[in-house]
Amino acid sequence: MSKKQEKEPELKGTLYSVLFIGTFILVTWFMAFYLFIDRF
Amino acid sequence: MTTVTEKAKGFIQVDKRDAKLALAHIYVAFIALFIGGLCGLLQVLVRSGQFTLPWGITYYQILTVHGVLLGLILTTYFIFGFQIAAVSRTAGTLTDKQRSIGWIGFWTMTAGTVAASIMVLLNEASVLYTFYAPLQAHWIFYVGMALVVVGSWIGGIAQIMKYVEWRKANPGQPSPLITFMVVVNLAMWIICSLGVAVEVVFQLIPWSLGWVDKIDVLLSRTLFWYFGHPLVYFWLLPAYMVWYVVIPKIIGGKIFSDALARLSFMLFLIFSIPVGFHHQLTEPGIDSFWKYLQVVLTMMVVIPSLLTAFSLFASFEIRGRELGAKGVFGWFKKLPWKDARFVVPFIGMAAFIPAGAGGIINASHQMNQIIHNTIWVTGHFHLTLATTVVLTFFGAAYWLIPHLTGRILTKQMNHLAIIQAIVWTVGMSIMSGAMHIVGLFGAPRRSDFSTYGGSEQAADWIPYQIAQAVGGTILFIGIILVLYIVAHLLWFAPKGKTEFPIGEVSEHAEKTPMVLENWKIWLTICILLILFAYTIPVIDMIQNAPPGSKGYKLW
Repeated sequence: MSKKQEKEPELKGTLYSVLFIGTFILVTWFMAFYLFIDRF
Repeated sequence: MTTVTEKAKGFIQVDKRDAKLALAHIYVAFIALFIGGLCGLLQVLVRSGQFTLPWGITYYQILTVHGVLLGLILTTYFIFGFQIAAVSRTAGTLTDKQRSIGWIGFWTMTAGTVAASIMVLLNEASVLYTFYAPLQAHWIFYVGMALVVVGSWIGGIAQIMKYVEWRKANPGQPSPLITFMVVVNLAMWIICSLGVAVEVVFQLIPWSLGWVDKIDVLLSRTLFWYFGHPLVYFWLLPAYMVWYVVIPKIIGGKIFSDALARLSFMLFLIFSIPVGFHHQLTEPGIDSFWKYLQVVLTMMVVIPSLLTAFSLFASFEIRGRELGAKGVFGWFKKLPWKDARFVVPFIGMAAFIPAGAGGIINASHQMNQIIHNTIWVTGHFHLTLATTVVLTFFGAAYWLIPHLTGRILTKQMNHLAIIQAIVWTVGMSIMSGAMHIVGLFGAPRRSDFSTYGGSEQAADWIPYQIAQAVGGTILFIGIILVLYIVAHLLWFAPKGKTEFPIGEVSEHAEKTPMVLENWKIWLTICILLILFAYTIPVIDMIQNAPPGSKGYKLW
């Protein structure tokens, strides 16, 4: 095994960006769900 | 490990004969954009209540022209032009036989397009682009649409033949990534368009010719949506090809992972087809268990979508950090914000966030009742197709067309292309935003302007319909701008060499497992899932068929 450890790229911004998308999806979904519960 | 080798500096040029075939498709695409876009403008003006169509032209006629030309013709032709060029660029120049098959496909599709267009223009086929029974068009319209589908199969086979030839010449090696993606898209297209072909050949044509009096509406809609949802992914996957393979090169970075890109495409292949029922969630005659099952399968598409988002952000972040970006989001500023080839598709990517979120709401089984048949749905697919996909295609056209014509995108045109995208974004935000909001208030889609007998509720929709007209007018200015840029790139731009950007895979990426290119496995899963999702409900539909319907011509 090589002693030289390859440095992993830093992807903190990517993680937060994907979490933002996931949160956006959940928030909009629950807004629509609220409308659904309210109407039906 | 890179699957695509690129000689530094020296651009690999698409062969002139292949370029001619690709350009033929692109010409038709942009002609369709102009006519279809003009009809879109007329539609929003009519729906504002302030404008009446002249010369006896009807609202449903222009709606059909708009939907067919933009939803089916612009997309299929641009995608084929792009795919032919991509395959030729990365898997090698087409053989004479492959190119001839490509031309046969092109002329078959074009003959069908002309036939269908004539019938729509004669007001013999104002059946909207979904050509739903029991609305009945002239039989020539259906034959024309069948020819478009058959022509696309022929043209698609030419591209697949090149891929098969490459695999045989390079055993044990993963194929060039974008060629692989093209073949996934074609496999999905061929499998799903079998549904609409069966509907057109066995139901709509005999019925419109008067050979049979009645049609099974439920079955025809089911066959349509078996095709109709993967059709959305047929539009979207070429945009993903640009995002995965081309954009990393444009920003000066690398493809985050070849394996992840291939996995994501294979997941799209298997999860895009057995999901048509989510368009029929309010349809009587389908057991709710099967609707539920297809809703679950629909939600599986979220996985490759988020894989894609992750991969793209990772490519951006890694590149930004290479350029010295600091902090969590510093890399964002380092992206090439003055390059139209990046900015225009990037706006498309950003639009996919609300578009995808809206799609999840639409497909959430009972929640579909909130938006079903409202203009929210129209707003939704104007974000997915008319923003995400179309802006990515425009962004791709800005390097693809000059590459094929041996010209360059000048600084002024690059600047104008960015302005075009901003105009588009403003217009679409107003139009699609108004459609989403008023859809939640119950405003119907597809319908002509009406006060609904002086209804108070319908009166509340009118300001939003005026907003749609304002947004639609701005979008038409966007169409004029893009056509100006495209005409410049086709005929007037300075001669020169333009790169067809193909990214290389990051050195950090793992080796691509060959199982991702094992078609036997993936096609088997794909077909099993389709059989699982459709066999029992379709048998049920046939055994307990609703009474047949005669044809209606309500326009």
